[in-house]
Amino acid sequence: MKYVIVGLSVVMAAALAASVACSGEREPAPAPATRVPDPADVADPADAINQELMIALGQAKNFHHKAKVYMTDGNLPAATASVRQILSLHFPRAAPEADDVRNDARALLAKLLMSQGQLDEAMRTIDEGLAPSQRESFFVANLYTVQGELHEARAAALDAAGEPSKAAATDERRAAITSYDLSIQINERLQKKLLEER
Amino acid sequence: MATQDEDTLTGPVPDPETEPTAAELAHARRFAELVDKTLSGRTPPAMSADDRALLEVATVIRATRGNLELAPGAQHAAVEDALRQAIGTGPQGAAPVTSILEARARLRRRAPWIVAATSTLAAVAAIAALWLRTPGGAAHGPPVAHRAELPLEWTSRSADALIGPIARDHAGDAGARLDAIFADRLDGFRGFHEFRARRLTRGGKP
Repeated sequence: MKYVIVGLSVVMAAALAASVACSGEREPAPAPATRVPDPADVADPADAINQELMIALGQAKNFHHKAKVYMTDGNLPAATASVRQILSLHFPRAAPEADDVRNDARALLAKLLMSQGQLDEAMRTIDEGLAPSQRESFFVANLYTVQGELHEARAAALDAAGEPSKAAATDERRAAITSYDLSIQINERLQKKLLEER
Repeated sequence: MATQDEDTLTGPVPDPETEPTAAELAHARRFAELVDKTLSGRTPPAMSADDRALLEVATVIRATRGNLELAPGAQHAAVEDALRQAIGTGPQGAAPVTSILEARARLRRRAPWIVAATSTLAAVAAIAALWLRTPGGAAHGPPVAHRAELPLEWTSRSADALIGPIARDHAGDAGARLDAIFADRLDGFRGFHEFRARRLTRGGKP
């Protein structure tokens, strides 16, 4: 029995030695805190601001400028079309700016559609923006704000329709409050997070 | 009439040069056997008073020469008694102290188990450490190559920190916000590429 136990111990010790030997990969040496980051050392700066991103941002900027000119002229359909083109711009894959710019364009687009009385189309534009948003941002919060304005506009339209629509108008106002609350909550969370990061 | 024993103990001491008599030789041989028996633990139950006295003397002489060894049990009992006295506990009524021999024997019996338990614990700890230190675990995909981090201002990132919360009155000012984002990212883009260009002109790696 004694020899069996000793034998087992030896096997265990051998297994331990083998596992230690197999873990030969060493932890990478931590980068010195005093080292200045050198982009030349970066093999593939995938998250660096690149030309593709700058081109997309520049195009979006131009469409916004064009829309502003149309709005000044009072040509809201042309302004709407110009802003809509921002949604189909090609941004670098996984660039966070893409979501931000598109969500902001959707907010403006919804307001333009709302000002033209196209409340359902405006609501669809907002919903399409909120559906894929997995990352909270001030731009998503702004979408909820515009959504709340749309619910308010719908409530006003239902109020104007007369007594039979009163209940629906009340629902829209409640929905507006819900949207504003969501916007406020996102803003609070993000502001807290930004304060912690500073 | 005096006996031979009395002669031995009380008779005149013979001259050292005198040849021993046959009786003396026989007596010496018998006494030698008696001493041998006594030393080997086979002391005869009955013996003459002279032989007993001589035997005691022989035992004392042997003990004083230092060749007498106590049995291991007696040795340890003596040591334990001395230790008990040193630490102030009397031999009477004190809890029995485990003898060194017994402790050694117990240790010898338990040694394989101790070694086995220690080895098992060490092996389990090593395996646990290996499993825990695997970055992200095998289920989380291949390891990512370590690379230097870019300064934040040179990276593509959320515009939240730049824009901040959007007031309701400015919900539709997307153009103005995009101007700010574009200007900020253009600074970063220029900074990154100017740095690279400087490295190239100095003969550094691209």
